[in-house]
Amino acid sequence: MIPATLRVTLIVAVICYFIMILYFLKQKALNLKYTLLWIVAGVVMGILVIVPELLVFIIHIFGIQDNMNGLFIFAIGFIIMILLSLTSIASRQNRKIRTLTQELSILDKKVRELEEKAVTEDEQGKEG
Amino acid sequence: MGQKEKVLIIIPAFNEADNIVRVVDHMMEQAPQYDYLVVNDGSTDDTLSLCRREKFHYLDLSINMGIGGAVQAGYIYARKNGYDIAVQMDGDGQHDIAYLEEVLEPIRQGEADVTIGSRFLQKEGFQSSVSRRAGINILSFLILLTTGKRIKDVTSGYRAVNRRFIEIYSKDYPMDYPEPEAIVAAIMHLGRVKEIPVQMRAREGGTSSITFKKSIYYMIKVTLAILICRMSYGVRRAKRED
Repeated sequence: MIPATLRVTLIVAVICYFIMILYFLKQKALNLKYTLLWIVAGVVMGILVIVPELLVFIIHIFGIQDNMNGLFIFAIGFIIMILLSLTSIASRQNRKIRTLTQELSILDKKVRELEEKAVTEDEQGKEG
Repeated sequence: MGQKEKVLIIIPAFNEADNIVRVVDHMMEQAPQYDYLVVNDGSTDDTLSLCRREKFHYLDLSINMGIGGAVQAGYIYARKNGYDIAVQMDGDGQHDIAYLEEVLEPIRQGEADVTIGSRFLQKEGFQSSVSRRAGINILSFLILLTTGKRIKDVTSGYRAVNRRFIEIYSKDYPMDYPEPEAIVAAIMHLGRVKEIPVQMRAREGGTSSITFKKSIYYMIKVTLAILICRMSYGVRRAKRED
C-alpha cells in the first residue's frame, strides 16, 4: 500500500498543481486548448491519490512488483506522452509559420512592385 | 519561336553575398528571355541589400527556413503567377546556366515532369569528394529500392518541373535537406523524372550547407525521410490529380 503520509503529500501536490494551472489560465499564459491535456492528467492523478486501490490494481495487472515503481513508471509514461504531443504542436506551428513567412514574402514583393509603379507614375504625372 | 511558355528560374540564397550578384548577372546575360526570382532565405549577410541595390527580382523571407522552405516559396510564387515551368538553381554558382535549355527541353516537349541536372551521367566537371559521392550512391540505391527508379545525382538542386509539379511542390515540399525526398515525392505522384547530364563547378565562394560534421546527421535524416515519404504514399501509388 502507499503510505498515508505520502498520500497526503500527493494530495497537496495535486492541489498545488491545479492552482498553478488555474493561475496560468487566468494570466492567459496558457491556452485552454493546450491545457486540457494537463487538466485531464491532474484529474487522473487526483483520482489515483484518493483511490489508491485503483492504482495498486492497475500496477498489479501490468505485473509491476513495487507500488512506488509503478507510480514512477506511469508518471514517466505520461510525461513522454505530453512531450510527444508538444512536439506535434511545435511541428504544426512550424508549418504554419513557414506558410505565413512564404506568403508574407510574396506580398512584400507585390507591395514593392506597386510602390515602384506608383513612384514612376507620380514622376510621369509631374513631367506631364 | 512559337514557344510562349512562362519560365521562372528560382534561386534560393542563404548568405550568398559573395556570389549572388555574379550569378544573377550572368544569368540575365545568358537567359534574358526567362524570369528569375532570388529567394533570400533570411540571410544574415548582405544578400538582401545587394538584391535591393541591384534591383533584382527577389522574395525576402523574414526568417531563415532552410533551402526547402525557400524553394517552396519560389514554387508558390510560380503557381500564383501562372508559370508553366519552374527551374531551381543554387545561388552559389555551382550550377551552370549554359545547361538550362537541356534541362528545360524534356519538360517543354512533355517528355518529363521533373528533370534533374546530373553531374554523374557524363562524369565531367566537378564531381564532388569521394565520401560525398559514396553518400549520394547510398541514397540513390535507397531510392532505387523504395521506388524502383534509378536516379544517379539525387542531391542535385538543379531541377526543372512542369506546371503540375509547381502545383504539387507549392503545396508540399520537403524541408531541411529536401532534394532526395523531393525525388521520391515526384515518383510517388507518378511524375516522369529524367536526369540530364550537366557539368557543375566547385563552389566559387561561401560554404556548402553540408559540412563534414553534419554529414552523418544528413545521411540519417535523409534516409529516414525517404523511408517515411515512401511509406506515407502507401502500397498503392498516388493517383494523378487531373
